[in-house]
Amino acid sequence: MAQKLYILRSYRVLCLVLCLSSEAVADGTVIDKVYHPYVQPLERELELRSSIERDSAKTAAETQVYRLGYGQSLNDYWFAEGYLIGQQQQDNSLRLQAFELEALWQLTEQGEYWADWGMLFELEKARSQNIMEFSSALLIEKEWGRWTGTANLHAIYEFGEEINNEFETALATQLRYRYQRSFEPALELYKGQNTLGLGPVVTGTVLLGDRRQLYWEAGAILGLDSDTADQTYRLLLEYEF
Amino acid sequence: MRILMRAALIVLLWLAGIRGVLADKPVFKLEIRNHLFFPEVLVVPANTRIKLLVRNHDPSPEEFESYELNREKVIMGKRNAVIFIGPLLPGEYPFFGEFHPETALGTVIAE
Repeated sequence: MAQKLYILRSYRVLCLVLCLSSEAVADGTVIDKVYHPYVQPLERELELRSSIERDSAKTAAETQVYRLGYGQSLNDYWFAEGYLIGQQQQDNSLRLQAFELEALWQLTEQGEYWADWGMLFELEKARSQNIMEFSSALLIEKEWGRWTGTANLHAIYEFGEEINNEFETALATQLRYRYQRSFEPALELYKGQNTLGLGPVVTGTVLLGDRRQLYWEAGAILGLDSDTADQTYRLLLEYEF
Repeated sequence: MRILMRAALIVLLWLAGIRGVLADKPVFKLEIRNHLFFPEVLVVPANTRIKLLVRNHDPSPEEFESYELNREKVIMGKRNAVIFIGPLLPGEYPFFGEFHPETALGTVIAE
């Protein structure tokens, strides 16, 4: 009975989140990563993240963006990370395009409330243009036995001399099945003004001993409207130590 | 602005739903001494969310880790931590200390 109540309540909230997303007005692609609202003290990580967009309607065959980051927890509830962001150029060279700082704030203990809550703050600065972007996101995660649902609700403000100041919102969601530590299949949905994508993702963790582990994600997000790239392949490797 | 108001409404509804879940979770105690968990076997009620109070008596940190319970939590040396687990289906759920996986081992039994 209690399980049924949880499922009913979960369905109700999922409907509310989808209602909210229907009015999301994000600019550009928002297919990137789904964040989880947890911080572990004493944790450090190196992260490599890439996304490759392929779209038959565009002249450029594909767009490749890479992020290289280092992060560490500051205490029990805050985790900070800095990124270098590079984009592949037409001559196939990789050029540093932007810098990003990110802070994740765990608001509740895992399992303490009906859902787990966190906040994410990001500040991105273009390297050679006067363009900046500040983003904050509400991170929500809920588990139902071996299933885990995660939603990231982003509010984004772009500003600078070389861009029209603009407020945007975006949504990223993930439904994951905790099959085993090294292999967890998932489905991800991304929604923004110029993005509507859905696709399969697999994630996993390999324990390396001495508190070291390798976390990975790989996915293919398919565009569901004409504005979104036909396929966006995303890869992530995190070495935690 | 309309979107923000909707977001605020969702948060309020969620918090309202949370209040019922907060009421009276059974509390269990777990201690870490010399890189061992005490008790090693913890019997808890099935289908119930429980609150686990963990006291680390060692001077060094330890990490409570369990894929089966979907929990990992670092407990600093000489400190306390709270871990919420469940509701669990009847069964056995192993856990270990990631800093000392050879010795710090335990099992939660939900029945």
